[in-house]
Order: sequence, then structure tokens, then C-alpha cells
Amino acid sequence: MFDGFVLLGNGLAHFMTPTSLFNVAWATLLGIMIGVLPGLTATMGVALLVTLTYPMPPDQAILCLMCIYVGAIYGGSRTAILLAIPGTPASAATTLDGYPLALAGKGGLAMGLATTSSAIGTLVGILCLALLAPLLAEAALNFGSYEFFWLALFGVVVSGQLTAFDDPIKGYVAGILGLLVAMIGMEGLHAYRRFTFGVPALGGGIDLIPAMVGAFGLAEILVVMKQRAKARIIDASDRVVPRLAEIWKYRRTTVRSGVIGTLVGIIPGVGEDIGAWGSYAAARRKSPEREQFGKGSLEGLIAAETGNSAAIPGAMIPTLTLALPGSAAAAVLIAAMFIHGIRPGPMLMIENAPFLYQVISMLVLASLAITVYGLLITRPLLKLMSVPRERLMPVVYVLCVIGAFAITQRLFDVYVMIAFGIFGFVLREMRYPMAPLVMGIILGTLLDVNLRRGLAISDGDLTPFFTRPVSAVICALIILTILFSIPVVKRRVTSLFSKTDNAAPGEN
Amino acid sequence: MTRADLLSGIVFLVLGVAVAWMSWEMPRLEVRRIHPATVPGLVPGILGLALAFCGTLLAVRSVRASRDREGWHAFGAIFVSPETGRAGVTLALALIYALGLVGRMPFWAATMLFVFAFIMVFERWLSAPEHPLWRTALAAAVQAVIVGATVSLVFQHGFLVRLP
Repeated sequence: MFDGFVLLGNGLAHFMTPTSLFNVAWATLLGIMIGVLPGLTATMGVALLVTLTYPMPPDQAILCLMCIYVGAIYGGSRTAILLAIPGTPASAATTLDGYPLALAGKGGLAMGLATTSSAIGTLVGILCLALLAPLLAEAALNFGSYEFFWLALFGVVVSGQLTAFDDPIKGYVAGILGLLVAMIGMEGLHAYRRFTFGVPALGGGIDLIPAMVGAFGLAEILVVMKQRAKARIIDASDRVVPRLAEIWKYRRTTVRSGVIGTLVGIIPGVGEDIGAWGSYAAARRKSPEREQFGKGSLEGLIAAETGNSAAIPGAMIPTLTLALPGSAAAAVLIAAMFIHGIRPGPMLMIENAPFLYQVISMLVLASLAITVYGLLITRPLLKLMSVPRERLMPVVYVLCVIGAFAITQRLFDVYVMIAFGIFGFVLREMRYPMAPLVMGIILGTLLDVNLRRGLAISDGDLTPFFTRPVSAVICALIILTILFSIPVVKRRVTSLFSKTDNAAPGEN
Repeated sequence: MTRADLLSGIVFLVLGVAVAWMSWEMPRLEVRRIHPATVPGLVPGILGLALAFCGTLLAVRSVRASRDREGWHAFGAIFVSPETGRAGVTLALALIYALGLVGRMPFWAATMLFVFAFIMVFERWLSAPEHPLWRTALAAAVQAVIVGATVSLVFQHGFLVRLP
């Protein structure tokens, strides 16, 4: 227990240098700007900025990327409140109450409460990260090929189920497509080249960063440029700094939303947007003012903003301890960690235990930075919102080209970026979610190698996949997730529970 | 959306079957005496079958959901809408830049041309109301020069990226 505190203290002290604080300052501000600008998402920002971190030492590189991640998720709330357009998908729930508040002349207060809620949400998530990650890492040391196979499958299936817009099958299809992309190139057990079609550049497989830059960069540019309507920015000249009483009044909602956001973040591939929606739904159910939700409820706004920010530290729990990305942006972070020689996974606590606490410190510093920026810089950020997309998007595309090219310095990766951009755009237009695709690409190798390694160890016997306790639990979760995506089963189960609820008062 | 689902379902069915077939045909590496359960085609084969299954489900469900002819007209209308035109122009400019210009001329020059063309196309010709020609051209040229020069200098000298 005390070791943890010492390591956390060391982690914070590690970043108390002028260079680190300077990096926190610019990276968080850049992240907020990315979040504020409609059409630029946190995942895109982190993927593009990986390029900038190459020359940096690993700790500073991850510090910058983490600050951009936290800043962008927070920054999206500004656009959601004043423009009714979520700056990032994570702020979609914020729009519901943020915009009506701005229309009612409380835009400043809404921005202030969004700031404090985001900071508190991140802190709640950080607490869970500090408590849970070491325990999970220790438990994961006992995991073998069987468990890792199921975990990889679980990541893709649950992400496909929960991030699908209207149809879980589309989520599963996106996940399978991602897994198939990961099958391209030399496989890990026998060094056989699969699906390379004689193209030497495909031998090494598809790199995650160019694929992500395409799927979240070029595809997003196409989506943004496709739209014709322009939104009007609502003026917000009321006070921004909220009173303590206003924050204290909704303390229960804040803590509940923080916990829900963190739990959602822990689920692989399910990130901030679902964290916000989950917290918002729970707050509406519990609130005495539930009829105000969607019409300008402060509680709704607080729930959404706490939920999406808490999902970030939550997402870092499986990311660091199992190398299982908790969100799409966390998938890019895993790729960035590998580029910088940091190996996330169960061995992290043994090989590089201080790193976990450095990540916690990074999140603490980032949440402090968003509070300072959020409460002090309001006007310049408003100006940023009025940058026309016709001027912004060509610059973003130039950065996409450089971001894809810079890792291996070959044009092939630019072609990969373009292919994934077009592919991602078409899939989005047909309402396929992107997160399972990303999960598939990053987890494909883990799934493939561990299934075949497990089979080799058991001499082709499938039994250990189902009889080992942890394997059995994850397998059961996967089956339940898939069953729940079948409408008939879901209806039956839901009606079963609603009948029980209805019966309960009569029994008393 | 049902027609798009039908078409995408069929595409995924065909793709899934193709992947499963290619996986079946993949060498089993018997000469290397590997365990038969670890053949390279195992996982892609299973994934191919899963994709084919999901594709079939999507296609069958969309057929059940709508049987009228109107759906095809609505689906066709998507491709001739102004929105699709804007996305098409964006994509065309992006492809010309990345596949045609980059690598054939200095990066800064390619970037300046792209940024200038992008702003001109969207602010002058695809904007309603159209922006004044000279003002747009001047603003586009200034931004193109700034972006081209800054990006090249920053990445080449600041971040030591050898630009294409």
C-alpha cells in the first residue's frame, strides 16, 4: 500500500520539471483546441500528434499524448454547449443540456461546470486507476494463452455490441473486418506471410497509426466537408467560474457519474462517448428534476461531462495492465508506447512499475491544466470555433499525410491511410462503428497467436479454453453479450425483469 | 439504409467466403511438422466464415424489412445529392495531392498547391453565396504559403521527418 504512495509521489515529482510542465501546458492547450474544433476528435488528435513525439524521451512523449487526449475530450464540451455540435463524439450527451443552457443565457456557467465536472471526473477515474490497475496486473500474471485469446475476443465483441449505433451486427462486422486486417502480413507462430498478394510492403502487416489516421482523420474530413449547414455560435457572457455550492449540490451525481464513466472506460474498446451516455441515463433515472433533462439541466450536463472524462483513466486500466485498449484513443496510445519502447501488459508492473504511477501523474497534471485553461481562457477558444472548415480541413489533411508517412518514411503508409480513410467513410455513412474496427486491428495478433498457441499446448484439445476458471467466465460473458444482441432474447430477458419489478410492490 | 445494408451484406458475404476459401487453400506447412491445429489459415478461416454469416444476416434482414421498389430510388438519390458531390470533390482533391503531387515535387510546393486549390474550390465554387474571387484568392494564397512553409520547416527541421 505504502509502496503505491511512494511510487505515486515519485511519479508526480518526476514531472515537476520545467520541460514537463511546459509540455503539459502546450499539449493540454492543443488538446483543448482539437476538441473545440468540430471535426477534430481526440483519437485523430492523438494519432496525428504521435509524429511530433518521436524525438522526445518516452515519458515526455506519453505525457504529451495523454494531455492531448484529456484536453480534447474536455474541449469538445465547449462546442457542444455553444454550437450544439459535439466537438468530439464524447460530448454528444453534453449537447442535450449544454446548448439549452447557452440559449437561456447560462453558457458561461455551463462551460464552468463542464470544466469542474471534467476535472473531478478525471480525478475519480484516477483514484480507480490507482486502486484497480495494480490488482488487475497482478491477477493478469496468471493469465495464459487461453485467457488472452478470450480477452481479445471479448474486447472485439463487447466493443461491437456497445458502440453499434442501431444494429449490433454492424458492430460485429466492423470488429471482424478489423481482425481480418490484422491477419495481413507475417504471422507470429510460423512466420508465414498471409494475404500479401505478392506486395512486399504488406509483409510487415498494416501499421495501426496510418490506419487510424485514415479512419479517424481523412474519413472525418470527408464527413465534415460533406455537410453544408453552418451552425451559429451562441454568445456566452455570463460568469464562467461556478460557485462551490453549485458543485456541492450535485456531488452525488458527480461521484456516481465518475464511477460509471470509469467502469465504462474499463470495458475494452468502449470509451468516453458511452461513458457520458451511461452517466447521463443514470443521472436522469435518479434525479428528482428528471423532467428538466434535455431542457437545460445542470445535473445532466454535470453527469455527461463527469462521465466522459472519468472514462479516460478507466480506459487506461486495461490498456496498461492487459494491453487491451479501453478506447479508440487508448489503442493509439498503445501503438505510441510500443514505438517508444514501453510494453504495456501484465508484465508492466514488474518491468516498469513506476510507469503506471507516471501515467497517473500525467492524468493529474492534465486535469489541473484543463481546470486552469477552462476557467481562465474563454474568449480565445470561442474565436477558434469560428474558423471556417474550408480553411481548417486542408491543413488537417496535410497533417494526416505527414502523420502516416513519418513513422516508417514510406509512401506505402500514405496509401494505407487513404484506403482506410475511404473505407472508414463508407462504413460510417452506412452506420458502422469505428471502435470495433480499431479493436480488431490491435487485438487481431493477440487473438490469433494465443488461440493457436493454446491449441498447441493442449495438443489440439479445446477443453482448457472452457474449463480454466477465468477462461470460463470471459467465455460466458462473450456468449451473454452475443445473446443480448439478439432482439428476441433481449426482449424476453427485459420483460422477465420488468415483470419482477412490477410484482415486487404487490408482494409487500 | 436497408438497401445499403442489403448491398453491404452481400459484399461481406462474398468477402467472407473468399477469405475462408483463401484460408483453406493456405499452406498447412506439413513439411515443417507444425501442429495441425496451428496452421496459418485457422483464424482467418474462422473469421471469414463469421463475416459471411454476419453478411448473410444483414442481407436477409434488410430484404425482410423492405420489399418495395422505392427503396432503390432513395438509395440511388444518395449518390447524386449535393452532399455526396462535396465529399467527392474533397476526396478527389485529397487523392490528387497524396497520389499525384506528393513525391513528384517538393513537399512545400505540393502542400501550397493543395491548400490553395481546396480553399478556392470550397469558398468560391461550392459555397452559397460565393465569396468574392480576388479576396478568396488572396486569402487562399496567403494561407497556402504559410501552411506550406511552416509545415515543411517544422517537420523537416524541428521534428527531423524526411518529408516525401
